[in-house]
Amino acid sequence: MTIEILDPTTPASPRPIEYAPRPGALAGKRVALIENTKFNSDKLLQRIGDILKAEHGVAEWTMYRKHNASVPAHDEIITAIKTSADVVVAGIGD
Amino acid sequence: MPATLTSQRFKVADASAALDLCFSRGWTDGLPVVPPTEAAVRAMLDAAKLAPDAKIAYIRDRFVTITAEKVAINAVMAGCKPEYMPVVVAAVEGIGDERWGYHGPGTSTGGAAVLMIVNGPIARELDINAGDNLFGPGWRANLTIGRALRLVMRNVCGSMPGLLDRGTVGHPGKLSYVIAENEAQSPWTPLHVERGFRPEQSTVTVMAAEGPHQFYNQLSPTAEGILTTLADNMRISGNVMGQPHYCLVLAGEHMTTIAADGWDKKRIRQFVWEKTQNSHAHLKRTHRMSGALEPGDESKMRPLVATPDDILVVTAGGRAGAFSCFVPGWSSAKSSAALTKEIKR
Repeated sequence: MTIEILDPTTPASPRPIEYAPRPGALAGKRVALIENTKFNSDKLLQRIGDILKAEHGVAEWTMYRKHNASVPAHDEIITAIKTSADVVVAGIGD
Repeated sequence: MPATLTSQRFKVADASAALDLCFSRGWTDGLPVVPPTEAAVRAMLDAAKLAPDAKIAYIRDRFVTITAEKVAINAVMAGCKPEYMPVVVAAVEGIGDERWGYHGPGTSTGGAAVLMIVNGPIARELDINAGDNLFGPGWRANLTIGRALRLVMRNVCGSMPGLLDRGTVGHPGKLSYVIAENEAQSPWTPLHVERGFRPEQSTVTVMAAEGPHQFYNQLSPTAEGILTTLADNMRISGNVMGQPHYCLVLAGEHMTTIAADGWDKKRIRQFVWEKTQNSHAHLKRTHRMSGALEPGDESKMRPLVATPDDILVVTAGGRAGAFSCFVPGWSSAKSSAALTKEIKR
């Protein structure tokens, strides 16, 4: 006798993501670095910021700190970055 | 006419083929599941008085709504009896609450499980174990309720081990991690009453948690002696730099000794909070805290959790044996707060 079973899953709903236009070059751009609070993430990003200045001519970099590693960047950070930066470096990892 | 179940249907030859299908589609946790037929799923929904399309939770980070129908299907697969369904639903509400912060414990390399502590009359009605072999095998309710929640996390929220769930080592509690408080024999205020519910209400508390750490003290006849041992075991455990929650699970003999000294849960929490602090010097020497040793580090103390209230105290475990345990929380209380939800029936 055949039996019929039900699918237990819910597929993730697709979301369109619109990327901001990429700058042609980094020279003179303002860079925001988003730090996820894990050990040494600030040092890693600081090093990245310094390299971007020395080797790619970015004007300045500013570091922003999330509340913790498990949450998205909070609204205050996003708002500040919108007006104060042209390029963002964000990453997650242990 | 009952509301239609909208999940996709699969016809298979027999129960064995149903099991094979569940395995091949990646719907199980590695153990066999009960085939989720419409009749079984409807019984689950009826027991919780829920329509199939009722929204139980919304996981913001996944943009996914968890419906009663999907909870019921996964509860059937886990082996739940229909009367367990309200507990599973309340737990899903808990992990879907933004304060629980699904994205962290649902995905983290830290390998959190969902510790579920059931309080109130439903714990006894459903025979949820609060005694011997507390975290071990033997009780259907304990093993299937937690399994149902985990299957929801896997099948609905996408926490697939090795993909979105990246626990580095994980632990067996990720299969099921359910206990009840032994309210019948406890001398203390039950956990749910401490957290604002009435004694006759039934609740489930969800806490993102590492595995249980057993400790023993067969020597001391005093509260202070037993809790000093506990604190010594606890002081370096879990994420000592993260300030998470902890759950203390005090079993029969220890419970009796501590209560005989007149200590209540509040005093236990305060004592343990004070006695589990680490010096900055120790944390730096053991490479848990960054930075070079500085003057004053030997006497500068860091508490294991931010406040005594971040320590949950539960009475459970067998009557015999001078053993109890503590359960470190995952990450930090700010990242994932332990929450208590009413079980609605």
